[in-house]
Amino acid sequence: MSNDVWVVVDLKLDGTIRKVTFEALTEAKKKLVDKLGGQLCAVLLGSGVSGLESELGKYGAQKVYVVDSELLKDFNTEGYVIALSELIKQNEPAVVLAGNTVFGQDYFPRVAARIGSGVAMDAIKIDLSGDNNLQIERYSHSSKAIQKQVFHGGTTMMATVRPNSFKAEEAPATPEVISGSVELNPGDIKVKVIELETKASDRPELTEADRVVSGGRGLASEENFKYIYELADILGAAAGATRAAVDAGYCPYDMQVGQTGKAVSPNLYIAIAISGSVQHFAGMGSSKVIVAINKDPEAPIFQKCDYGIVGDLFDILPPFTEKVKALVSEG
Amino acid sequence: MKILVIVSQTQDTEAKIQVSASGDSIDTGDMKWIMNPYDEFAVEEAIQTKEKHGGEVVIVAIGPGRVIDTIRQALAMGADSAVHINGEGFAETDSYAIGKLIAGEIKKLGEFDLIFTGMKIIDEESGQVGVQVAEELGIPHVSLVSKVVEINTDAKKAVCQKEIDGGHVVVEVPLPCLITCPDAMNEPRYASLPGIMKAKKKPLTEVGIDDINYDELGFGKDAVSKEGARVKTISIEVPQIERKLKIIKGDDEPMVKGEEVAKAAEELIKLLREDAKVI
Repeated sequence: MSNDVWVVVDLKLDGTIRKVTFEALTEAKKKLVDKLGGQLCAVLLGSGVSGLESELGKYGAQKVYVVDSELLKDFNTEGYVIALSELIKQNEPAVVLAGNTVFGQDYFPRVAARIGSGVAMDAIKIDLSGDNNLQIERYSHSSKAIQKQVFHGGTTMMATVRPNSFKAEEAPATPEVISGSVELNPGDIKVKVIELETKASDRPELTEADRVVSGGRGLASEENFKYIYELADILGAAAGATRAAVDAGYCPYDMQVGQTGKAVSPNLYIAIAISGSVQHFAGMGSSKVIVAINKDPEAPIFQKCDYGIVGDLFDILPPFTEKVKALVSEG
Repeated sequence: MKILVIVSQTQDTEAKIQVSASGDSIDTGDMKWIMNPYDEFAVEEAIQTKEKHGGEVVIVAIGPGRVIDTIRQALAMGADSAVHINGEGFAETDSYAIGKLIAGEIKKLGEFDLIFTGMKIIDEESGQVGVQVAEELGIPHVSLVSKVVEINTDAKKAVCQKEIDGGHVVVEVPLPCLITCPDAMNEPRYASLPGIMKAKKKPLTEVGIDDINYDELGFGKDAVSKEGARVKTISIEVPQIERKLKIIKGDDEPMVKGEEVAKAAEELIKLLREDAKVI
């Protein structure tokens, strides 16, 4: 087994690299690579991905394994599983990390099962134990508890990391590019994409955003969600929602924050007309600063936020948004 | 069609949790045990599929004796039979071993068309087992399926929609396959009283921990223990995040109204700017 640490690159639908990849590279370098004494490597899998290597070097990748194949297009799970399992078997890295994105959650556990490795999901801290095994911390029990988990060692140790948990810092290196010798056959791909719809949005993605503005059922209509979008856009924030608002049809499922939606941990989380259920907090309770605007003074959220106004969102938001806008344009 | 559903029992998330004396698990003493909410969607989807295409629904569950309540709930909802891998200590092992054990029992059930299971269990929140069972069985999986668009029993394929970051995708997958269920998928039915009565008479196979052929699974019995786990939880804590609780209220009643509104908005901005330094 080598002492190398790998980070599998998370790509967006537009082919650019997700921030979580740079965060993982930075944290791996700080916490794992120096102590293990191996190299920091990135693994770039996809179709038409060549050319992204230098960007990975910017964040410290000393080596980039590339598998560029048409069969890896559109986040093909089976293609990724084959390519990554093969690369791991051939090179036996000590640790393999990836972002805990929708796609990461899909292919990563399957790779672990294929190569007989343990895997920890959604780590918010990574480190090494005394005997140089991977040790991580993660939320469990509706994010009410934090587990510390340690790997047994002896096989490659795998973990996904939660976006926005670590800071990405540049540490320029000129990576050696290695073309991965993995054979992919069309017959290996059983799940076929027959439609792929991308939603064009200028807003940042929820899991990556520094700021999030979310709305609850109290918004009362799809139309009224314009208040959420307006404030979000002024703040450069992502827009989120509670399950109740999504179920009521006010906004799409991909905006849902909570136990059954996305987990976010931005610097600033503004909750508009959100009561603050256990399930919602499971998805945003680790936010650094939580702000609540709600007309019910008894809403649970007022027991677990930093700042708030007891008031009707339709009264408060227009002047609030106006003032924030003035402030932002001042710089 | 033969449809399998992997079902777990879990602690109620509404519950207040505390760490056990050993410091590496959650105290389950007074806890209410429920069917993992995501698995309820899986059971519902399986029953709806059966209602449309005919066939049978088989529940597969792992865990100690108390899991029988969850199995009965699934049978009462409309599943036809169940397999219970019954033993203590599974909670201490890892997903890798659980996946292998479940896949091992599924292999004994003969041919099947579909497996549904929840996207994750709400206590561990890991979401590995379903995908790993598919790997062990050598069948394709589609995770986080928001909608099963079509099942074609003649062509032996399913068409599923799933939500991904920044869009959605529709995939076609040959049967047999495994599908993991998020919560937007359907509305799980309640067990009816006749359903509950009938559930008691439905076939239930119990598999004891000593009935398992570990050689066939390719790992020793010691893997099904805390010591044998590839990843183990060494400590758990319930963090208390101190929040500032600076709440602006109205002068006469809790709600800020009328002329107070502009002042409150101003004050909140000042707090965010000067106290929190986030805007």
